[in-house]
Amino acid sequence: MLWQIVVGGVATGCIYAVVGLGFTLVYRTLRMVNFAQGHVFMAGTFLGLLLATRWQFPAVSLLVAVAVAAYGIGLLLDRWIFRRLYHDHVVFVVGTIGLGIVLQNAVRLFFPEPVPFPKVFGERIVVLGSARFQVSYVWVVALTVLLVALLHALFAYTRVGRAMRAVAADPEIAGTVGVKVPRAIGQTFGLSFAVAAVAGVLIGPLYFVSFDMGDMVGLKAFCAAVLGGINSIPGTIAGGVLLGLLEALAAGYVSSAYKDLVAFALLLLMLAIRPTGLLGYETPVKV
Amino acid sequence: MRPRSKSDTARGRRWGFLGLLGVLLGAPGVLPTYIVHIGVFVFIDTLPVIGLGILSGYAGRVSLAQGALFGVGAYTTALLTTRLGWPALAGFVPAVCVAVLLGIVLGAPALRLAGLYFVMATIGIQQIIWIVLMNWGPVTGGSQGIRSIPAVTFGPVVVESPQAFYYLALGAALGSYLLSRRVLASRLGLELRALCDDELAARASAVSVTRAKVVAFALSAAWAGAGGFLYAHYVRYIHPEMFTLEPSILFLTMSIFGGARSLEGMLFATGILESATEYLRPLGEYRMIGYGLLLLLGMMFFPRGILSLFVRQPGTGPAAPAPAADEPAVR
Amino acid sequence: MKHVAIVAALVLVLVSGGVSESGAAAPIKLGVVAPLSGPGTSYGLGIKQGAEMAVDEINKAGGVGGRQIQLVVVDDASNPGQSVTAMQRLVNQDAVDLVIGGWGSSQVLANMEVSERAGVPNIVVGATNPKITTAKNKWTFRVIQTDSVQAKEIAKIGVQVLGLKRIAVINDSNDYGVGNKDAFLEAMDELKQKPVEIQAYNSSDKDFTAQLTRIKAANPDGLAIFGTIPGAPAIMNQARDLGITARFIGTGGLANENLITLAPKASAGTVLTTLFHEDVDADGRAWADRYTKLFGGGSQPARPVLAAWEYRTIRFIAQPCLQKAGTDKGKLRECIATWKGKVFGVPTEVHFDETGQLVQESVLVEVKDGVFAAYKRK
Repeated sequence: MLWQIVVGGVATGCIYAVVGLGFTLVYRTLRMVNFAQGHVFMAGTFLGLLLATRWQFPAVSLLVAVAVAAYGIGLLLDRWIFRRLYHDHVVFVVGTIGLGIVLQNAVRLFFPEPVPFPKVFGERIVVLGSARFQVSYVWVVALTVLLVALLHALFAYTRVGRAMRAVAADPEIAGTVGVKVPRAIGQTFGLSFAVAAVAGVLIGPLYFVSFDMGDMVGLKAFCAAVLGGINSIPGTIAGGVLLGLLEALAAGYVSSAYKDLVAFALLLLMLAIRPTGLLGYETPVKV
Repeated sequence: MRPRSKSDTARGRRWGFLGLLGVLLGAPGVLPTYIVHIGVFVFIDTLPVIGLGILSGYAGRVSLAQGALFGVGAYTTALLTTRLGWPALAGFVPAVCVAVLLGIVLGAPALRLAGLYFVMATIGIQQIIWIVLMNWGPVTGGSQGIRSIPAVTFGPVVVESPQAFYYLALGAALGSYLLSRRVLASRLGLELRALCDDELAARASAVSVTRAKVVAFALSAAWAGAGGFLYAHYVRYIHPEMFTLEPSILFLTMSIFGGARSLEGMLFATGILESATEYLRPLGEYRMIGYGLLLLLGMMFFPRGILSLFVRQPGTGPAAPAPAADEPAVR
Repeated sequence: MKHVAIVAALVLVLVSGGVSESGAAAPIKLGVVAPLSGPGTSYGLGIKQGAEMAVDEINKAGGVGGRQIQLVVVDDASNPGQSVTAMQRLVNQDAVDLVIGGWGSSQVLANMEVSERAGVPNIVVGATNPKITTAKNKWTFRVIQTDSVQAKEIAKIGVQVLGLKRIAVINDSNDYGVGNKDAFLEAMDELKQKPVEIQAYNSSDKDFTAQLTRIKAANPDGLAIFGTIPGAPAIMNQARDLGITARFIGTGGLANENLITLAPKASAGTVLTTLFHEDVDADGRAWADRYTKLFGGGSQPARPVLAAWEYRTIRFIAQPCLQKAGTDKGKLRECIATWKGKVFGVPTEVHFDETGQLVQESVLVEVKDGVFAAYKRK
């Protein structure tokens, strides 16, 4: 029984981790939190739904197509919307809240009820020891690992990635050494959208998709990012998996009703003890 | 034409204010009950919004726990009046006090956090309070909510109908507006503005920063609790679903939408946003999209707040700027 | 500040002008509060469709006493706070003569305070919490069975008819789920059986692995699910994935066609108490066919279950009472309280008891071959 719970927890945790990455990427670069992130995740799922049902995209091309499309949309939204918002914290918060509401209700117009997602990863049940689960779970974990590897490669070895890191470290100086800062910021948004959308496609076959699925996931992913360190990519991943695991364990062994409490209690605890998270690198300076 | 002197502007403001007040007082006589009902909600909401405004616009801390604290005030008075049979008015002080107490207990450790980290902490507080309200069945009634909350009575007068409650709520809104102006004009207000603009300098100028922050948070919680009290005795049935992150976000957007540091702006914004879900009904299915667009476009094009359209804001300080890349998480 | 005052005054004038109420209108106004967004959407749509169908038919046949019925539907977004405002709107703004509808116990408990205080008859078709109909609530009636009745019924079926010996329970932690669970446990107690495992979940949960793993460990032969869409079908799917072979049983929350759409394989064999089934009698069948022709085939599947009660309430209860008592609210209330009659889909005659609850026998269905099939008690 424990093993079954662990498997479920890790898979959910990976989803929190990947969506949380979206928060982290934006935060590192702009020190802002995109409140529409959870809804981007949801929109990504629906985009995947459309591609999978209308044009029968198989698994891999579906993931790639959604990622690319989301990236493009992220760039566009940065150009049209985010650029006008990120000059100020609170404006960004309220603005992205509004964006989230628009996204959610736009999807609701077309899909007012939960819809099943085609089983693009197959319907096989995998048995591992005493645990039984859908093969989709394997994809979730595998893709999370792949994603982290790809991102690492991006940031370490490509110009685009290095430019984004430079902007994250210090936008002013990055500008002076020739980095086109607004473009790098746009790319960061694109990446954060792509990542969330991919998470959406991964989770689609596991549960039903509905327009309100972004709310809780967004919130938990946010907690995961804070838990692991919102300015650290490995931290966010660790935070996500840890959160998913602890939540599942709490649900299984303590009380399923209060399991949401786990996420938020952890959040508060972490903020009280170590605000920068498990692996965050900013050292708190008490002045 | 001689240039407008300061006393002219002040007199202009006073007349404007009285004029507005007159309009508001006369409204229930003219308007249909349903609109008056919306008006009641607008006035009730101004309380938590003003509380938030003190915290964010003046102390520079954004809180997303206001919805939960509003709920705490509502539940306190609801429980006292339905379980212990207290008269409605007697629930006011406890509602405020419990909200303040809970706010300080949960919020104090978070106050040393800066900017975004503080927001995150308040989200945590909001959710935890909500989860407890939802699941602690024996005390809060859990998902059944609390029914048949009695109405506020002043002797023989039962304040029940939208029209009657309108005046009570208007009075409360007016009172909190005036009260908050007093507070902000006082030394505390000065301290809050100082610590918002530059915490380091404030500390250096002998401003007791921690005390000021705690007091600001306590005030915002108090206002939230008072608002919750009114809500409980108007709607007469409360349920945890009414105090989720959603109203917290709503209150926050109301306090920002009107422009930081402008009490009048906040009231105006509350009026616009609260009634939005209703006057947007003609949009039918697109109602909520319209609401989201209102927020989004408002922030994109009027970052200084919607009131800046009408009134030139005298010396409004810049809204809290984004911290620099190397700014520490904790101050 | 001066400018603000002027703007406010202008707004006031515009608003009051735009919303001026015309005098007492000739049509009879029927109000409906229903969720057309949020988690209750699929149920709310059914209510709306049932109302539209009934009102259309009545109006085409000449209305009631020569007066047409005007239907006013207000969306409460499955939210108790908004439901209060929605009811306020119906009662004050639209000045409806009576209200028929309502879904979700939390919403109805909230909005009925308004209709009770205003003295407007309110017949509830979609909320099962027992507290809604009490002797104190003079103006509130309800046509569907309460949790207690449905849960007791399914407990009896589970133990005595299906012969289940190890029943596990999983319920939503909202008042619907908890209310059903409590009534179920009471009934199980009377039947001298104890559930082997009880788990709860939150309405917004998507993953039930933790709860289901514990349930699996208890080795049940039956699983009672007290929840609504989308939780219930998700639970069914995940339970089967985990290798739980227990038979599913449940009450009205499962009575939604979407259950089968979302859990096509897993839901097979589920037995539940429902609110309507077209095979109970020929009239029911005829109505269901008419309804499907009107509303089926669109992008949304037709949902006769809640629509049926809305339709029946308007046609068989509201219409004759409006005919007899006109729109005097007091007389209307009297008429409803003393109403008795036969409606299609319910085998015996029905009437309202002293708390305003319609007393009736449950209708049972089983999920077979991808549809709800009538289930005969042996």
